[in-house]
Amino acid sequence: MLRLWPLSRVLKARHAWSLAARCSSTAVPEKIEVFVDDKRVLVEPGTTVLQACAEAGVEIPRFCYHDRLSVAGNCRMCLVEVERSPKPIASCAMPVMKGMKVKTDSPMTKKAREGVMEFLLMNHPLDCPICDQGGECDLQDQSMAFGSDRSRFTDMTFTGKRAVEDKNVGPLIKTIMTRCIHCTRCIRFASEVAGVDDLGTTGRGGDMQVGTYVEKMFKSELSGNIIDLCPVGALTSKPYAFTARPWETRKTESVDVMDAVGSNIIVSTRTNEVLRILPRLNEEINEEWISDKTRFAYDGLKRQRLTNPFVKDDKGNLVQAKWEEALTLAAEKLVSVPGEQIAAVAGGLVDAESLVCLKDLLNSLNSDGLCTEEIFPMDGAGTDLRSNYLLNTKIMGVEEADLVLLVGTNPRYEAPLFNARIRKCWVHNDLEVAVVGPKMDLTYEYQDLGDLAEVLQQIANGKHPFNEKLGKAKRPMVVVGSSALQRPDRGAIHKAVTTIAQNARVKSGCGEDWRVLNVLHRVASQVAALDLGYKAGVEYIRQNPPKVLYLLGADEGAITREDLPKDCFVIYQGHHGDRGAQMADVIFPGAAYTEKDATYVNTEGRAQLTHVAVTAPVLAREDWKIIRALSEVAGSPLPYEKLQEVRDRLAEVSPNLTRYGDAENANYFKQAQELTSLVKGNLTSTPFRPPQLNLKDFFMTNSISRASQTMAKCVHAVLESEKKEKLS
Amino acid sequence: MASSRVAVVGSKQVKPILSANKTEAKRRVLNLYKAWYRHLPYMGLLKDLQLQSRVTWLSFVLNTVKDFDIAVTVPETKVKLRELFLKNKHVTDIRAIDLLVIKGQMDLVETMRIWKQKTHVMMFFKDTNIKKPTEFLTRFYEGHD
Repeated sequence: MLRLWPLSRVLKARHAWSLAARCSSTAVPEKIEVFVDDKRVLVEPGTTVLQACAEAGVEIPRFCYHDRLSVAGNCRMCLVEVERSPKPIASCAMPVMKGMKVKTDSPMTKKAREGVMEFLLMNHPLDCPICDQGGECDLQDQSMAFGSDRSRFTDMTFTGKRAVEDKNVGPLIKTIMTRCIHCTRCIRFASEVAGVDDLGTTGRGGDMQVGTYVEKMFKSELSGNIIDLCPVGALTSKPYAFTARPWETRKTESVDVMDAVGSNIIVSTRTNEVLRILPRLNEEINEEWISDKTRFAYDGLKRQRLTNPFVKDDKGNLVQAKWEEALTLAAEKLVSVPGEQIAAVAGGLVDAESLVCLKDLLNSLNSDGLCTEEIFPMDGAGTDLRSNYLLNTKIMGVEEADLVLLVGTNPRYEAPLFNARIRKCWVHNDLEVAVVGPKMDLTYEYQDLGDLAEVLQQIANGKHPFNEKLGKAKRPMVVVGSSALQRPDRGAIHKAVTTIAQNARVKSGCGEDWRVLNVLHRVASQVAALDLGYKAGVEYIRQNPPKVLYLLGADEGAITREDLPKDCFVIYQGHHGDRGAQMADVIFPGAAYTEKDATYVNTEGRAQLTHVAVTAPVLAREDWKIIRALSEVAGSPLPYEKLQEVRDRLAEVSPNLTRYGDAENANYFKQAQELTSLVKGNLTSTPFRPPQLNLKDFFMTNSISRASQTMAKCVHAVLESEKKEKLS
Repeated sequence: MASSRVAVVGSKQVKPILSANKTEAKRRVLNLYKAWYRHLPYMGLLKDLQLQSRVTWLSFVLNTVKDFDIAVTVPETKVKLRELFLKNKHVTDIRAIDLLVIKGQMDLVETMRIWKQKTHVMMFFKDTNIKKPTEFLTRFYEGHD
């Protein structure tokens, strides 16, 4: 494989030199005039013929070329005729030249395409009827559009077509390597985007094979994307195998909740069942990739589901009940105790609508004990200033940054697409990365500053060697993981990080527009909950043991029965029978993210909408409606009945929660930093240790992925492959 | 012709649809009522078996055929007819009355010619329709809406 980027890093100095030279010579490079089918287009110098054609509105057929990957130029499908060129040229690799006349529809071009198609099909099985790619196969489509209408392939001696052994690359990707047309997209994706150099080619010519050479698992958190990239059916989804054809499924645009990035997804459904999840393009968040957890955890939506309300009987067993019974019982308990003795915990998969409903309900009962399961420092300015808990630079902002300092986080597993963005910039923009934390494989090189919290203090005081580099950075970013802010000394850590960010901001002279401080959250609900004024962490509940506790999808076990008084009545509302439901006295079955129209705010503070792809199972209901119904049974109905009215209420509390698609900027960094002087306590000497360090920790992190068989298989496969690696 | 005349509605003078004044409109309403009333015995099937056999015999004698196989007695249809006419008793605008008469006339023709089907006739008796709940809590208990 030819890869150009390591070279560019070696020659960085020269690159900078040439950049300076270019700046001094001419102001704006002149545009080049090209003719595509006699249509005149002006393009930047250095663009390829294929891009120029796209500019002119002509799409050139291609297999190996992909926008986000390096150019390989080996499929030859994009051949076009260029005037005064003896042979057709591969348009994806050829830069435009002045006055070039491209003919995309000439007999020579057509013949070239037909020839390429013929060669490809000669080595491709005719198994479209049993192929999972059928209906969304580039080879199928292009052979219809550009191929010959008859075959010259006659197997006179019955030797059979080329056949290649299938590879086992793990529980997610099914390989049928006979179908491979050697476009090498998967190889380029693995080495360039995923940063896992496992895939490659062996052999030459007709014997060429794509694979891992020795049998091993393709260990990447982004591995599923090669299924989308594969233009034929060589790489398909194992869990989705033989399930459905694309034309049978209904597609619903939605948003992922497995992490706090909020990747945009399409949910494919049929007969009220989620069949698969595919990425949806969003340049500002996930580009066109999604993580494996996002893509494959959907089978968890069908398992361990709460489909019926449950009520605990005299013997202490949970028995099925009617909605009326469950609501009445819960309402009686809510009303029977004074407001100070009611508390609520919101989990990681909860939407903003139900968060605001629950807050309004408890506030109307005179309670203010609303907490999130995820801890966040509340000292100093705490969560009062929005800038304190957002990824302020935005995911897109990484592309402009020149230095990233990661503190106590492993973005590769906490936010795979954020990590992919950092890697992209590390490869293409010479972004430098430094890490305060344990040694990790982040898929890019970084400066290791050690894992001790003292390092932070030194950097904050300007007494660390790293300060020199930080001071020189023009657009620095400081990213602190939410797990680092959950240690006992979280206030001091937040203070140190805020100080580092503020100092770097002042020193770099980047101005008010560039935001340095970033918090990388791990759960989808946290930002919305903090925006709505929830207390971060369950400390309040530990200190004021409640008589009635409302768990809204709280499944991570932040509060257990041991933390509560004996007679505490626990109401659980959620979609999975997980830790929260186990300790409950009443269970309300809720809807998962594919079953409701709901608002989720990602770690950047960007509000996004999920849509109903399937209806909630059996008696499960949309979450905000459950709380609204409970409020009515309890005798103090919330003043809204329709979803739009709930959203109006959301906008009343925090307008950014309904500005869908926009990430509202937060400010007052200086003031927030000044307020950290109120923080008491010092940094402890415990080293940073993000909870997800290995790929096996990545797959099962919330109630949906814990219920997923596919995710369990992934964990198993990773453990097995590690065992194998140790043996060899 | 009707269009050349002028109807007085309140203080406004407008072109009439059919009737020029209240008396004329009233006559049309009564005529329609009578026409419907006379047609009612041919419409439905009697619920009571004994009655039914008697009526079948009667209809055989009178050479009449029941148009629709519906489980409504003649007295019931009469009550319904009265109810439907009285539903619009508040209407005073002559043109509105005329329109209602025209619509009633059309309904009658459609019923007589059996252009309507059983279900269409039963639409007059909507009592069996279950009304969708409008209250939040009832809607919630009912489920997916």
